[in-house]
Amino acid sequence: MTHFISLVIFAALVGIVFAVLSSEHNETSDRVIYGLKVFGSFVGIGFGIAWVLYFLPR
Amino acid sequence: MQSEIASAPESSPARTAMACIAALVFPGLGHVVLGRWGRGLLLAFSITAMAILGFWMKGNLFTPSGDDKLTYVFTVLNMGLGLPYFACLAAGFGFDGNAAAQTFEYGKTFLAVAGALNALAAMDAFDIAIGRKQ
Repeated sequence: MTHFISLVIFAALVGIVFAVLSSEHNETSDRVIYGLKVFGSFVGIGFGIAWVLYFLPR
Repeated sequence: MQSEIASAPESSPARTAMACIAALVFPGLGHVVLGRWGRGLLLAFSITAMAILGFWMKGNLFTPSGDDKLTYVFTVLNMGLGLPYFACLAAGFGFDGNAAAQTFEYGKTFLAVAGALNALAAMDAFDIAIGRKQ
C-alpha cells in the first residue's frame, strides 16, 4: 500500500465519520457535501505538505 | 435521516445510559439503539474498517509504559474503542506491532484515530439521547 492510498483511505473514513457526527448539518445532502470537503481538505493539505517537504534538503 | 429523527422516542436516563454503553460495546451501536440506523451503520463501517486496516498495516494497540509519556496518550486514544480494546487486552491480541514494517506508523495512527472517532461517536450518541442534538 502506497503512502497516497493510505492517505486517501484515511481521509475517506474520517470524512464519513465527521459528516455523520456533524451537528451543523441536518440535511443528508449537507452532510455529504461536508464529508467531501473534509476528504478534499485532508488530501489537498497532504499534497501541499508533501510538496513542501519535497523541496527541503534531506 | 429526517425519518429517523421523526420516529425517535422520548429521552430517558435508562435510554441514555443504554446508548452510551452500547456505543462503547461496538462502534455505531449507540446510534442504532437510538434508532439512527443509517448513522450507526456508517459509523460501524468506518471505525471498524479503520481499526482493521490499522492491524493489517502491522500497527499495535498500546498500554502505558514506564516513563514513555506518548504511550499514555496512545493508550487513552486506543481505549476510545471501548470493549474491543479490552477484549484485545484480555486476549493478548494486537499489542505486538511490527516496528520494522514500512506501514507500522500508519497502522498505529489508524488504530489511535479509530479510538478517538469512536469516543466522539459515543459522545454524539449521548447528545442525541438527552435531546441536545437531533
